[in-house]
Amino acid sequence: MKKYTLIVIILGVLVALGIVLSFALGRYPISVEALLEIVRGGGTSTQRALFFNVRLPRILLACMVGCSISAAGASYQGVFQNPMAAPDILGASSGAAAGASVAILLQFSGRGIMLTAFAASLATIALVMAVSKAARGNKLLGIILAGIMVSSLANAVTSFVKIVADPYNTLPEITFWLLGSLKKTNLSDVPLAALPMAIGLIPLLLLRWRINLLTLSDSEARTMGVNASRTRVIVIVCATLITAASVAVSGLIGWVGLVIPHLTRRLVGNNFRHLLPASMLGGALFLLLVDDISRNLLVTEIPLGILTSVVGAPFFLWLITRKREEY
Amino acid sequence: MIIVKNLSFSYGKAQVLRNVSFTAERGELLAVLGPNGVGKSTLFRCILGLAKPQSGEIFLDGERVSSIRPNDLAHKLAYVPQSHAPTFNYSVFDMALMGTTAQVGGLSSPGAAQIKLVNEALERVGILALKNRGYLEISGGERQLTLIARALAQKADTLVLDEPTSNLDYGNQLKVLAQAKELANSGYTVIQSTHNPDQAALFADRVLALKGGTVRALGSSEILTDELIGELYDIDLSALKLYRR
Repeated sequence: MKKYTLIVIILGVLVALGIVLSFALGRYPISVEALLEIVRGGGTSTQRALFFNVRLPRILLACMVGCSISAAGASYQGVFQNPMAAPDILGASSGAAAGASVAILLQFSGRGIMLTAFAASLATIALVMAVSKAARGNKLLGIILAGIMVSSLANAVTSFVKIVADPYNTLPEITFWLLGSLKKTNLSDVPLAALPMAIGLIPLLLLRWRINLLTLSDSEARTMGVNASRTRVIVIVCATLITAASVAVSGLIGWVGLVIPHLTRRLVGNNFRHLLPASMLGGALFLLLVDDISRNLLVTEIPLGILTSVVGAPFFLWLITRKREEY
Repeated sequence: MIIVKNLSFSYGKAQVLRNVSFTAERGELLAVLGPNGVGKSTLFRCILGLAKPQSGEIFLDGERVSSIRPNDLAHKLAYVPQSHAPTFNYSVFDMALMGTTAQVGGLSSPGAAQIKLVNEALERVGILALKNRGYLEISGGERQLTLIARALAQKADTLVLDEPTSNLDYGNQLKVLAQAKELANSGYTVIQSTHNPDQAALFADRVLALKGGTVRALGSSEILTDELIGELYDIDLSALKLYRR
């Protein structure tokens, strides 16, 4: 069996085990026997409520968000020919943060906050793409610079909202949102997030071989029959869509989109045909486990963004200090 | 076979190519010779359909290059760039496999037929043993051979090689040139640019000498006299007393 197939199978099994573990773990632990009972339609009403209304949406969303952010990170890295690119490189996260802050300030409902964050994230990227289209010279550099500028603009909005927000009520909510969490999600959020994620992930999976050619020069790709600029735009749009959908449900979660594709590169190599599916599984597994830590480690929930940084930063340091290998 | 007729190209007001005409026959290695900046790369960009000439025509096996869709052109014409260092360390095999992209649908990945082609191509250029090595970990000569294998896996029968030896040491230069020559002998049309007259003299079937964006001379390597070289490179060979011919 090929190494890649084996790794994908192992990751798949680990995700499945992780899901079972996540159902069992929590303030009110549920034994594996009880889990089986619930799946078969039994169990106490408390257990059933916990299973379907509390843990199921969190588990599904942790997997979906981890999978999406990792896929977006890997795709951005290929498109921008930059191993340091992360899903928020173009400002998708900053835009979502600005949108969410404004929505929280205006006392929107949870759903309203989510939709505003999603819309603001997409609007930010649309602005970035429009600005970069007008930019002269190196197109890739133009997009990245436009992303930095528009991000900084969005961050200014967020900062301003934090200053004017009610410090006892609104400000903590904004801060908590900015640190990322799946605490407030419910089952009806799942299909809402799944739709844009599917719309973004399916083209990425189908185009994943061609993403390889984007890491070469555009002329080279074209002589091999690939329209690099068109493919690049499709990949950016898809990666942005899934990032926006993820950030909208989970808030800001750093590092996953950078660390997971990197780790996966070590496992399966740089070929996107293997890298993308393996990154998606790895991301789902990682965020699932981090979310378990988030809700089990302390009495109060630890925001995901804090945990991913605590895990991600040292891991990345370890990665770059190891024997020098090309990415 | 490539026919270039009265090709002119300018970037804005700066005219780079003026009335360039030549033919490259099947099974021939044509060297495009000239100093750096003379328009060799621009000529290649026009042939590859990457740049639009202001006037003139380019025919590939009787078809106008400008009217061939990029995906179809990839089946006929392959480009071998100078060996480069991409951001990601693809395996030699994956790098060569990228050449087969035009053979598979836009939404799928290369399959068994393409894998076989790549193995054959790597074997042919003599680097099959390196197939699992990282492209960034092999020598410049081996990278260039990988790019040639990629062009072979592309299944095009016309190859355009842009200064394939420019970053290589002497031994690797000869290896790559011999490979290009062997391909021409076996029926490929090979156009290769070089700024080195010695290489043109050694390996080319015919030489196209460019000066100031126009064709200064075209013919077998016998046209490479001291006078011509002196004129192309703006040096006085007899005064330098370097060459004994």
